[in-house]
Amino acid sequence: MSGDKPTDLPSEAELAEMSRDDLVRLGTKMDGVELVHYEEKFPVAGTRAERRAQRSVALWFLLSALSGVAFLGVFLFWPYQYEAPHTERHLLHLLYNPLIGLFLGLSVLALGIGALLYTKKFLPDELAVQQRHDGPSPQVDRATLVAELADAGQRSGIGRRNLIKRTAGLGAGVLGLGIAVVPLGALVRNPHSDSETKNSLWHTSWKPEKPGEKVYLRRHTGNFHEVSLVRPEDVEPGGFETVFPFRESERNDEHALVAALKRSDAPVMLIRMRPNQAIVKRAGQEDFNYGDLYAYSKVCTHLGCPTSLFEQQTGLLLCPCHQSQFDVFEYAKPRFGPATRPLPQLPITVDEDGYLVARSDFIEAVGPAFWERKS
Amino acid sequence: MTTTTKRPRGARTKLRRRVAGLLALGFGLLSAGMLFAAFAPQAQTAQAQQQDALVRQGEQIYLNTCMSCHGKSLEGVEGRGPSLVGVGDAAVYFQTSSGRMPLARQEAQGIRKPAKLSPEQINALMAYITANGGEGPKKPSESGEALRGDNPARGGELFRLNCASCHNFTGRGGALSSGKFAPALDGVSEEQIYTAMLSGPQNMPKFGERQLTPEEKKDIIAYVKSVTDGNNNSGGNPLGGFGPVSEGLIAFIVGIAALIGVTLWIGAKA
Repeated sequence: MSGDKPTDLPSEAELAEMSRDDLVRLGTKMDGVELVHYEEKFPVAGTRAERRAQRSVALWFLLSALSGVAFLGVFLFWPYQYEAPHTERHLLHLLYNPLIGLFLGLSVLALGIGALLYTKKFLPDELAVQQRHDGPSPQVDRATLVAELADAGQRSGIGRRNLIKRTAGLGAGVLGLGIAVVPLGALVRNPHSDSETKNSLWHTSWKPEKPGEKVYLRRHTGNFHEVSLVRPEDVEPGGFETVFPFRESERNDEHALVAALKRSDAPVMLIRMRPNQAIVKRAGQEDFNYGDLYAYSKVCTHLGCPTSLFEQQTGLLLCPCHQSQFDVFEYAKPRFGPATRPLPQLPITVDEDGYLVARSDFIEAVGPAFWERKS
Repeated sequence: MTTTTKRPRGARTKLRRRVAGLLALGFGLLSAGMLFAAFAPQAQTAQAQQQDALVRQGEQIYLNTCMSCHGKSLEGVEGRGPSLVGVGDAAVYFQTSSGRMPLARQEAQGIRKPAKLSPEQINALMAYITANGGEGPKKPSESGEALRGDNPARGGELFRLNCASCHNFTGRGGALSSGKFAPALDGVSEEQIYTAMLSGPQNMPKFGERQLTPEEKKDIIAYVKSVTDGNNNSGGNPLGGFGPVSEGLIAFIVGIAALIGVTLWIGAKA
């Protein structure tokens, strides 16, 4: 805006004479802004209207403070413990969350409303006009700017100081490489290089960790540290139970007991068919069941959701995510939906003490397909 | 002398002892017999007679309301109704008290409706089915609040593990295959929840007493009772109880509308 600067600048003597109001108008004018309308809301101080406006703003701030105190009070002293329905204190428990939300929300909201009301009621009405030019900047502005930038680059001398240029490049390059390695490294690593452990995609935690180790079927009783092993007679005909692996080495290890129930490849559905139910077994897996008991992985072969909606009369296992249906009367073969592979079957038997144990790991990978899987 | 005088006295005491022993034995036998006669046989016949009457009443109900689908001797009718041999009185109680049986028509699954049989009729039918179909899962002797365990938190853990896949996390129910569904658990009595777990009605799997102990079942009932019948309603409206779908939609619509309102107010000229 080199062209439209006001030319009638005041002299030093005139400047000393000017009031603050005049100075403000002069300042905005020098920036090309014209104040068309600029008026106090309450030109006369202490009127009744001003006091009313003041009170209404103050009221919101006061409300904010009060609900802040109420929030603190509820947060610190309200009984927060769960109280079952049908008890006297259930209502108190029910009110805890709503009250905390109400008071904290009100406190923040009232503070905001107060601030907004203040600007609406007290800040002067202002209407300003700024002159804008059309099109690009004038030719002279553009030419000088380019010259200034080129001059700064040339005068810094970085173009001809090769040692500095190269060492700086080296430092920044190594740092950049380090930053890139973190996300890219995970893509370079081969996650299947060790395909024999239970942590690979090919195996599950049902795999014995050392030869001859017995892997029991364990139920979850709601207590993560309790070991409750499953016997064949525990499951009624037409019943099913979700079971997890247990090995004696975990017995007194609380972390291992919890982890065993939480591993995503571990859940297995132990299903007991009703007597006289005709079953089609999968070729090569004819002896995987123990009597009427069949154990199938609970992880859907489509995308890995738990397929635990069991219809005991139709023998269908439904997956809640994409409506795949597996037929447990026919080796958990998919009947409907996007899943294409049957649920893997866990070979089970009974040990000398009458507990159900896994004879080995699954003979195929459980869950959804992955790149290296051929079938 | 002394021996002659001692002898008869000794013989007399021997006799007295023998007589006293015989009397005591006789008295003991008699009183034991009287006690036995007074209590045991009479009670047994009374109970048996009562039971017989109940079974006969149950037979009448069975012939009137159940036989057309379950057959003359509980063997079931192909394409209409399953055999009732060995189902136990838990199944009978659940199906009839929840109004599912007698069935209104053949369809994907029986639905809950007001019970057609009175509690007395249900008792008689339970006795009849047990007498003729053999023992099966038994309805618990406790009822009502006595079936609610004292650890709803553990019940919740077990519910999420065993039941939530079909009945939803707070017992809202959900869809199964081909028109079947897991019903919502509102308004279901404690006895019905218990007997349903025991007997596995329709497509629900059975949860026997060795798989879920009676205490665990009671905790599950306590949990179900704490989240159904409007008890899981802290905010005033459960919005269907389906969690983030309906709640998120309402929060989004109401929240966006409120934000637009506030924005308009901020921008408005005073």
